[in-house]
Amino acid sequence: MSDQSTRLWNIFVDSFLPLLKAGVLFTIPLTLISFALGLIVALLTALARLSDIRVLSGIARFYVWIFRGTPLLVQLFIIFFGLAHVGIIIDPFPAAVIGFTLNVGAYNSEVIRAAILSVHKGQWEAGFSLGMTRMQALRRIVLPQAARVAVPPLSNSFISLVKDTSLAASIALTELFGKAQQFTATYYEPLLLYTEAALIYLMFSTVLSFLQARLERRFDRYSAR
Amino acid sequence: MILQMTNVKKAFGRHEVLKGIDLTLNKGKVLVIIGPSGSGKSTLLRCMNLLETPTDGQLSLGGVSLDFAGGRKSAKNAVLEIRKRTGMVFQSYNLFPHRTVLENIIEGPVIVQRKPVEVAKLRAIELLRKVGLADKADAYPHQLSGGQQQRVGIARAVAMDPELLLFDEPTSALDPELVGEVLKVIRELAAEGMTMAVVTHEMKFAGEVADQVVFMDNGLIVESGSPDQVLKRPANERTRMFLSRLTDTK
Ligand SMILES: Nc1ncnc2c1ncn2[C@@H]1O[C@H](COP(=O)(O)OP(=O)(O)OP(=O)(O)O)[C@@H](O)[C@H]1O
Ligand SMILES: [Mg+2]
Repeated sequence: MSDQSTRLWNIFVDSFLPLLKAGVLFTIPLTLISFALGLIVALLTALARLSDIRVLSGIARFYVWIFRGTPLLVQLFIIFFGLAHVGIIIDPFPAAVIGFTLNVGAYNSEVIRAAILSVHKGQWEAGFSLGMTRMQALRRIVLPQAARVAVPPLSNSFISLVKDTSLAASIALTELFGKAQQFTATYYEPLLLYTEAALIYLMFSTVLSFLQARLERRFDRYSAR
Repeated sequence: MILQMTNVKKAFGRHEVLKGIDLTLNKGKVLVIIGPSGSGKSTLLRCMNLLETPTDGQLSLGGVSLDFAGGRKSAKNAVLEIRKRTGMVFQSYNLFPHRTVLENIIEGPVIVQRKPVEVAKLRAIELLRKVGLADKADAYPHQLSGGQQQRVGIARAVAMDPELLLFDEPTSALDPELVGEVLKVIRELAAEGMTMAVVTHEMKFAGEVADQVVFMDNGLIVESGSPDQVLKRPANERTRMFLSRLTDTK
């Protein structure tokens, strides 16, 4: 019994740093890059959906429909294995970035669209009455107010993404979860190693929740009417 | 002449709200628009700065002329030009809640007129002093009373040096005891020669500031003239009924 605990302890110690390293080297950059690019995609998609130009809003609606209506794992498989089969070979990391960006972009576009629509029409009109263009009113007046509404749901989607990046293990990316799978194959200790991976994810998302709370407080300087 | 409207019509879908408005307003004059609810007063005012696009007729403002006949679309630049030459004060203030009072006032001059921030700030502080809010420059709108917010709204519009200032029921959202402080500011602007078009239900105030009163009913100007003519000796039956109903409820 004590032999067994010593063995488990040693596996834990041996695997902890490599797991953490996989998290810091892959999970976190994958999350940050995909989320940042996803935000740009989301904003452009939201604006396209709100635009008067039919074709533009149609394309945006189609994109959101596809990426919200199909499983993320299947999207990743199509981008990595599917495209490779027709000669478009993308490395695991960029393939994962593309997949997560498009997926999170589709979801967040709806968040941003709703946030923009939540800003009172009178705010646009106040901007227009000063002679602002649509772009100026959007940037100066509407988006800052929409941001305040969008930050909590966007933070949720960010924390979800941290955890969803574990799906990248299935397209040959040895991020945190992939690394845990490798260790498991060596040591046959799935309970210990997967729990350990879970703890590291928990650590990441706890730190991020803390940052989220601070960000929300910063946006709370003025209160809505 | 600052404003000229000829046969201006506005329909929302099949519902015609303005049915052919002819109106002129000279520099330094105050036009007061009265009429029952739903008669099209706000729509008329909003057509003056093109927050609503007329579906027919001509509009000329400070030398910029637009023709809307046949549902014609106007050039974006002309629309922006007209908006730069007009200011608007809203019933619900519509201050920017994420910006301080000072930032609200310099927003237009800095972003639209591209004035240096320091120049815009000096002017904003001068305007705040004028509306009696010099000490509120760094407050956020939600920290102010309705009357104070509306005075900031007026300062924000005046900061653009508009050729025409539009007011849509500027005191309707206010508690009765706060109405006076806002009307006082508008009276002072009138005395300084600001050209204004004001929609209001404050008949006493209308009688004092107006050079010209128009009574609207059902999308048309039914009666137009000096405040004495329209408010004291209305020729039209509907005007008379509207005014008597107002005094009844007072
Ligand atoms: N955006 C819109 N879409 C459809 N109908 C509208 C719109 N804006 C105004 N209307 C209609 O136009 C008519 C005139 O409205 P308007 O707001 O100009 O009246 P008003 O004279 O300002 O009334 P009040 O004294 O109540 O403010 C009303 O029947 C109103 O329902
Ligand atoms: Mg109205």
